Amino acid sequence: MAAPGPLCPVKVRGATGPYLACWLAAAVAAVVVSVVTVVRRRPLGPLGAAADFGLACLLLAVAPLVLAEGERLGTWVAFQSAYALSVVMTASGVRSLALAVVGLLGVIGCYFLFLGEDFDGHASTAVGNVITFIVYTAIPRLFVNYTRRVARDADASRARAAELARREEERRAQLMMHNGVAVMRLLTEPGTDEERARLIDLAEVELRRMRSYLRGREPDTADAPEAVLTALVRQVCDRFTDLPVDALLDLGVGVRLPAAQAEAVERALESLLLNVRAHARAEQVVVHLDQGPDGWTLTVSDDGVGFDPATRAVGVGLREVVVGELRRQGCDVEIESAVGDGTTVTISSVPAPARAAREAR
Amino acid sequence: MKPTVAVVDDASLIRDSVGLLMPKLDVVAAVATVEDLLRRRPVVDLVALDLHLANIDVQPDVRQGIAAVRALTRRGYRVCVYSQEERRFVLAACMAAGASGVVSKALPTARAEQHFLDVAAGGTVVPQPVVGILEVLVRRNCITLLSERQRQILHGRARGLSYAQVAKQLYVSESTLRGYWLDLTRSLQDSLADLTPAEIEHALGLAPGDLLEFWPGEDSEDWWRVRTDR
Repeated sequence: MAAPGPLCPVKVRGATGPYLACWLAAAVAAVVVSVVTVVRRRPLGPLGAAADFGLACLLLAVAPLVLAEGERLGTWVAFQSAYALSVVMTASGVRSLALAVVGLLGVIGCYFLFLGEDFDGHASTAVGNVITFIVYTAIPRLFVNYTRRVARDADASRARAAELARREEERRAQLMMHNGVAVMRLLTEPGTDEERARLIDLAEVELRRMRSYLRGREPDTADAPEAVLTALVRQVCDRFTDLPVDALLDLGVGVRLPAAQAEAVERALESLLLNVRAHARAEQVVVHLDQGPDGWTLTVSDDGVGFDPATRAVGVGLREVVVGELRRQGCDVEIESAVGDGTTVTISSVPAPARAAREAR
Repeated sequence: MKPTVAVVDDASLIRDSVGLLMPKLDVVAAVATVEDLLRRRPVVDLVALDLHLANIDVQPDVRQGIAAVRALTRRGYRVCVYSQEERRFVLAACMAAGASGVVSKALPTARAEQHFLDVAAGGTVVPQPVVGILEVLVRRNCITLLSERQRQILHGRARGLSYAQVAKQLYVSESTLRGYWLDLTRSLQDSLADLTPAEIEHALGLAPGDLLEFWPGEDSEDWWRVRTDR
């Protein structure tokens, strides 16, 4: 921000009027620049900065005409160099490096005009002042640029956070809606009353989930009791009595899951069986549960048409509802399929050390 | 050459339609009861047997279920159960009684026909629920005679993996694996037949006596008749 030199009564060699004019010009410019900067809440634009530089140069250049002999250095009367310094600092907010450099060079050049023949006796002071111009241009500019980078990074981080929040919301929506959409699609297809009745049961389950999502409430699973996995798997399989499902769960008797993980497994299993119903054309579906020393494994395999994972991208159901959500809940998921040879999805609990190693990667 | 088949089913529709719907089978006899078949004694590669053959109250002397399987296998017939029965312990009991296969009537005709052809050719068709029971019995050391390779095969098949998938996991050809599976199922079937209901109940965590209703534990010729009188 520009600031004129102090106003004090001085003895001026026959040029009081021009001196005052110069002083007023500097004072008005300093006030205007300050007000504009405060109102706009940003530094001067290139045009304003150029005008400011121009005025500083002009005042330096005409100073010998309005100052008395010996007043240019070491006095309070010669405000021009201090004013020029304030302009140089104010211009540190200008984005254009070229403008800043040209302005600085102009000020330095005019400063030498300002010194005139006084330079000889005060060379060290003059050089020190020139260095001050340069340093006071560079340091504030570095600081301003650094602040700008921080602000830019903050903006980028905020935008990224917003984007991640949007994607997370989209994922949650996909998660909540996917199975419901699949059920609705199946409901639109022709079928017997019995088949439709089964689908309506499924639709009611999905409807409850979607309502909970639309109300904006995450199901509170922190204090919910653990779920018995065999009962949960059987419950889901019972919703698909139209499918040839063989549920072999004897080896998993006694497996209990935290409520959040159980909900993810339930939703994933339902999604897998909906996929079988909609796409697989399977004659046999096996749901197998096993508990070993390293944890439990749930295998869902069908002998349907399968697909080639290398050439066909998996849909939202497999990607989000099965793989994404189960991995978020600490489960491991493997999908194996081949055209004409069915699909096998293996869901397993990941032991804590293995999970820690995976998360570290 | 088509395998010769005898169909034992109390539903005339089934008796008449098997030959028509499964053209790769040569149905040489179609009767309503096991007793009829045993009287006629046809020479066939396979007997397709329904488990529920008559109303017990009306025809108490007609063999049903396990008794029917045992009566036929003891006379040297190769039996494939063809039924709507889905209770897994009943299916396992059929295998323990000597049936070489169990085929569901709910299967598409072409697939059922293929299963009959497999059994007629000397193979076995073990329904998935029975594979699951066998796996539990092996894991809980009720059946202990399996090699590590056989355990791996059973592990894969119990999870519903296809022959191709299991063969890939074990680095063998699919035909080799089918041979292994045949040997394995025969071995498991023998082991299953040797187990008592109590041993199976214990291994599966069932209550004592839960299996007595299904299992072929009696050794007399008329055990089935005694049960129907109860």
